[in-house]
Amino acid sequence: MLQPLGDSALLVRFGSHLDEAANSRAIAFAKAAQAKPIDGVVEIVPSLVSVLIRYDPIISRYQDIAGTVRLLLGRNQSSADGREWRLPIRFGGENGPDLDEVAGLLKMSPAAFISHHNATPLRVLATSFAPGFVYCGFHPEALVLPRRNSVRPLVKAGSVLFAAGQTAIAATDIPTGWHVIGHTAFSNFDPTAVPPTQLKAGDRLIFEAV
Amino acid sequence: MVASITIERAGPLTSIQDAGRFGHLADGISASGPMDLAAFHRAGLLAGSGGQAGIEFSMLGLDLRVDDGTLSAGWDGGHFDVFLNDTPLIWPGHADLHPGDRLRISPAKAGNYGYLRFGGEIDVPEIMGSRSTSLRAKLGGLDGRALTAGDRLQIFGSCAEPQLLAPIIREDGPIRFIWGLHAELFPLDLRQKFVTEAFRITSMMDRMGVRLKDEAGVFANSQILSLVSDPVICGDIQILGDGTPIVLGRDHQPTGGYPRIGTIIWADLDRFFQLRPNAQVMFQSVGLDHAQALLRSGTQ
Repeated sequence: MLQPLGDSALLVRFGSHLDEAANSRAIAFAKAAQAKPIDGVVEIVPSLVSVLIRYDPIISRYQDIAGTVRLLLGRNQSSADGREWRLPIRFGGENGPDLDEVAGLLKMSPAAFISHHNATPLRVLATSFAPGFVYCGFHPEALVLPRRNSVRPLVKAGSVLFAAGQTAIAATDIPTGWHVIGHTAFSNFDPTAVPPTQLKAGDRLIFEAV
Repeated sequence: MVASITIERAGPLTSIQDAGRFGHLADGISASGPMDLAAFHRAGLLAGSGGQAGIEFSMLGLDLRVDDGTLSAGWDGGHFDVFLNDTPLIWPGHADLHPGDRLRISPAKAGNYGYLRFGGEIDVPEIMGSRSTSLRAKLGGLDGRALTAGDRLQIFGSCAEPQLLAPIIREDGPIRFIWGLHAELFPLDLRQKFVTEAFRITSMMDRMGVRLKDEAGVFANSQILSLVSDPVICGDIQILGDGTPIVLGRDHQPTGGYPRIGTIIWADLDRFFQLRPNAQVMFQSVGLDHAQALLRSGTQ
């Protein structure tokens, strides 16, 4: 589960496919590692099922970092749970042009889809792809759809996206092949703020239709 | 010192860079920074730069004029012809620039990227601790975009003594890499071919990645693998679904789900990114200890 990634980083992997257990373990481990600085480590990045650890190879050798990581893994008691957020979402219409199609594919009315979508809080699985872009999961089996066949060259910041049993939120203008179901006024990226993103892996999101 | 310059001609992908915006992968932002980091640092020494940022320009070169003020400039990276007004100067090199001067850097004779640094700092805001432009995230540098003709930049702050440097000598040898995250997913005979067959650099290159041509068909029959997304780093060699190898650059995406056969070692990245379209490239596997020893000894 520990692998060098080039000569200046290593990856701690908790699974080879995405599921709840692997994701929570990755997030919990990243939190534990961030809480206790490791000599030579310059960056710790939680991802869907793994954690990237970048280190300075001038100061530290792979084996030293790997040894510390193994010790930490042995006594990792941290929880993956983070803060709770309430996110207002405008579903459908020009805010979510794919809402009707998504509901139709799942054989329910748009209102029923919104209610199912918001029924349970989702967890931030990871930030990736673009600044402040978060993947949130997991929806139950009844709400799983593949991505669209075509990519929209640009959806605006705040777009709420849906595919692959997840909801994702764009914090900047991006291209996407995901279904656009709504829009939130919440902004998860401000390059002038410290930190520039608010939502962290492990945070719980409660979606509210407005 | 305060000086201002106007870009009169810029090729595509000309951008303001400093050493990079590290530490923000968890915010979804890769570090950016110069494609040829060593040349960028050397241009700074040649200019006697008291600042952190410089201009990275691509194969087509760069022309600029000085509007106000006197400033020191240094240049390195690849091999370009450079003229101050109409006088040819040496590459790498240095000059003091005065109001009305024109610096003309003509298309490269070797390499893809050149660097122009100044005595002072380029007056663009620090975004998340860095002045580097991320063309992918559209932030940093000048409004998060590439520089174009007509852009005006202010240079401010103090200058150190410019240093004289001999041109950097880089070996022509194979590009060294460490077997990657998914190397074991590729059959042994394919891995053997990967280190014995030549690849070719293509013109499909930018700051995000460099596509290679696999003329020997090393990956022609490799299965399309569906993998969970994991963090990626600069220098990762990804194999796309159609068998195309692509080496990730400084503006790489933060994560990726394509199989990665290897990662180019840090000491060879600058040299790799300067390889021009159509150049042949061979890969040589090295151990992690060897790669880190090279870094500690400062060898390139």
